[in-house]
Amino acid sequence: MRLKVAVIGDRSTVTGMSLAGVQIAHVHSDRESTMDRLRELVSSGDVGLIVITHRVAEELGEELRSLMRSKGVFPVLVRIPDSTGYLPKRDELSERLRRVVGAEIKVTG
Amino acid sequence: MATASELSPTRTELIRLRRREALAKTGHDLLEEKMDALVMELFSVLRRMQELRASAFDQLERAHRALSSCFAAMGTQETVQAARETVKSVELEVSTRNLMGIVLPVIERPSAVRNALGRGYSMHGTSALLDRAALEFEKALELLVPLAVAEAEAFAIAEELESTKRRVNALEYILIPRLREAIKFIMMRLDEIERENFSRLKRIKKIMEEREWTRSA
Repeated sequence: MRLKVAVIGDRSTVTGMSLAGVQIAHVHSDRESTMDRLRELVSSGDVGLIVITHRVAEELGEELRSLMRSKGVFPVLVRIPDSTGYLPKRDELSERLRRVVGAEIKVTG
Repeated sequence: MATASELSPTRTELIRLRRREALAKTGHDLLEEKMDALVMELFSVLRRMQELRASAFDQLERAHRALSSCFAAMGTQETVQAARETVKSVELEVSTRNLMGIVLPVIERPSAVRNALGRGYSMHGTSALLDRAALEFEKALELLVPLAVAEAEAFAIAEELESTKRRVNALEYILIPRLREAIKFIMMRLDEIERENFSRLKRIKKIMEEREWTRSA
């Protein structure tokens, strides 16, 4: 199966990823439109990877998490730092791992 | 699960409960083995993820630096325009694989790196800095794909681990103790019946002996 890549983030990230040949791009401005776009991408079935900046992912919060829980294997979501290099202190994966394993696991870049 | 008062204290019931207990124990052991395997798998994925994350984010930082000098040299509007004109050709070859019943994504690493002519923006009026930024982002994109897969794997394995753990706990702390309780109850009831019967027989024997004695007297 051949699927597309989508990018959601600030202008720099989106510009850069477009230069790299990413087909679907969305510059984040407000929650509403970004969530609509994400829902569309998830349900379209022809997106394999969504690249989203940590800052936007954090702003979308629970809404994004529940969307990701409801999807199948694809699209895969990857959170990246934006042009300012922003990384949240706690990310969702280490949060979940702490709950599962019962111990802090450091997963830092 | 029947409560103690609903249990009929019979041998058949006892045998049935003992069988269930043995089955629950086997299930518990198997699930525990699965949990161990999942933990090992999770740690290996996490190690891989850490390396991938470090290299992808490094590359991304380089890409952003290249892009910001391009913004400065060419102007933001012009750069964005060039990005719009770029040929969008990246496609992912995807499939899935199965790990202990968990469906995991497989994505082949795409070849995103192209030469300047292949990108499609006009060579006229764009700077070499743009080529540079595009190249760095192409490299970053190539590194992001395996990272995304590793993160998805870690998430899926962690989720499976969580539900397996819940099942192990349910067996260990709820089902097995309840079955043991029921077995104990039936065994005590059966012993009691046994004792009642024993004294009843003793009593009958005594009465019969008395009758025998009066008759012969």
